[in-house]
Amino acid sequence: MAPAPALLTPLLCAGVRRWPGFLQKAALGPAGQNGRMVTGAPAPAVSEPQDSYELQSRILNVPLQHSDFFNVKELFSVKSLFEARVHLGHKAGCRHRFMEPYIFGNRLGQDIIDLDQTALNLQQALNFTAHVAYRKGIILFVSRNRQFSYLIENTARDCGEYAHTRYFKGGLLTNAQLLFGPTVRLPDLIIFLHTLNNVFEPHVAVRDAAKMNIPTVGIVDTNCNPCLITYPVPGNDDSPQAIQLFCQLFQTTINRAKEKRRQMEALHRLQSRDSEGSATSSAPDKSHSP
Amino acid sequence: MAGSRLERVGSVFSRTRDLMRAGVLKEKPVWFDIYEAFPPLREPVYRRPRLRYGKAKASIQDIFYQEDQIRAKFFSAYGSGQKAFDLFNPKFKSICQRFVEKYMELQNLGETDEEKLFVETGKALLAEGVILRRVREARTVNVGPQASSEGKQPQEEEARAQQEPKTALSPP
Repeated sequence: MAPAPALLTPLLCAGVRRWPGFLQKAALGPAGQNGRMVTGAPAPAVSEPQDSYELQSRILNVPLQHSDFFNVKELFSVKSLFEARVHLGHKAGCRHRFMEPYIFGNRLGQDIIDLDQTALNLQQALNFTAHVAYRKGIILFVSRNRQFSYLIENTARDCGEYAHTRYFKGGLLTNAQLLFGPTVRLPDLIIFLHTLNNVFEPHVAVRDAAKMNIPTVGIVDTNCNPCLITYPVPGNDDSPQAIQLFCQLFQTTINRAKEKRRQMEALHRLQSRDSEGSATSSAPDKSHSP
Repeated sequence: MAGSRLERVGSVFSRTRDLMRAGVLKEKPVWFDIYEAFPPLREPVYRRPRLRYGKAKASIQDIFYQEDQIRAKFFSAYGSGQKAFDLFNPKFKSICQRFVEKYMELQNLGETDEEKLFVETGKALLAEGVILRRVREARTVNVGPQASSEGKQPQEEEARAQQEPKTALSPP
């Protein structure tokens, strides 16, 4: 069996929807003191130790060598972004200074976001998300816009990840050890569908994720600050069509990445069984090392 | 567990990499290899948002089309269209849009005089069954101190629109 991921204690229970169906992240593996997981975690005592090295090189490193291993480019196009009204920004007075490079122009007072840049950034963001999901990272969807909180929670449930669309308590990320328990695993990626909170200030989680060294992907509108977000995606975050498109894109990439991981593990298991079979037939007891 | 909470110093990646190099952070985070293989277009370093002072302006261009001149004339003559705009339909064509397209067609056929073109287009649309009602209201066409977003074109259009209604109505 593939090495079990680290212990996953009830994560982020304050205000976060937990979906028990998806929380069965395999048996308890050897967890660190803090619960942070390692790539190529120490394999359980059952399977062969060689296995973990093979696993590391084949399963984990191979996807990094392709520029678009999960083929996220085919999920969207500039035309589909346009039809979902992703290019519509706020009025010129609301514009944030750091969003200027991403803005194409101003049409009668309304900022229009440059969809070519959006497409590039979105491809990078989706690629990163897919790789994190492939490596069994925990993804947290954050948004404080009440209009879409139901949609986002459903999206998170459908791809087996987590969402937090309620009031973000002060030390949720920075003081997690106290709020949840000593062995808690923080998310490995935070996806912001709305970077601002209800008073049009940057969401606390943006700064906290940067503090806790958690990479972020975020949809930044023309009134948002894209500085601290690792993979910003300039786009409209107010229209329902745009948010539905983004939710659908993230859901598809995450599901695709997880499916790919299952396939690769199954393939690897078959191959190792074949190699074992041939090894035992030719020279017995070669693979079972202590 | 070692970590660096200085979000304003470098990027997440640079801090993690340096902590690992120093040997303080023992385990590699899940995302580290992925970031190394696919870095973002801009490194996510904190920047202090500074205001612009004096005459410094943002370098964002206005988006205007040639058809905007035609649209301005249409709206000043006929007011806002009789048919409501259906924004749900991506292929919706408003009366103004049909007017503009007919105008461009007639222009390509060789006509040059704008007044004539305008009248011709009106007649052509009437032939197709679209009724255009002229609007004669007390219009205060103010070429006032609009924001910097307006280029020279709308001012020209305003001037032309001012010339059109011959009956000059005094502003209230």
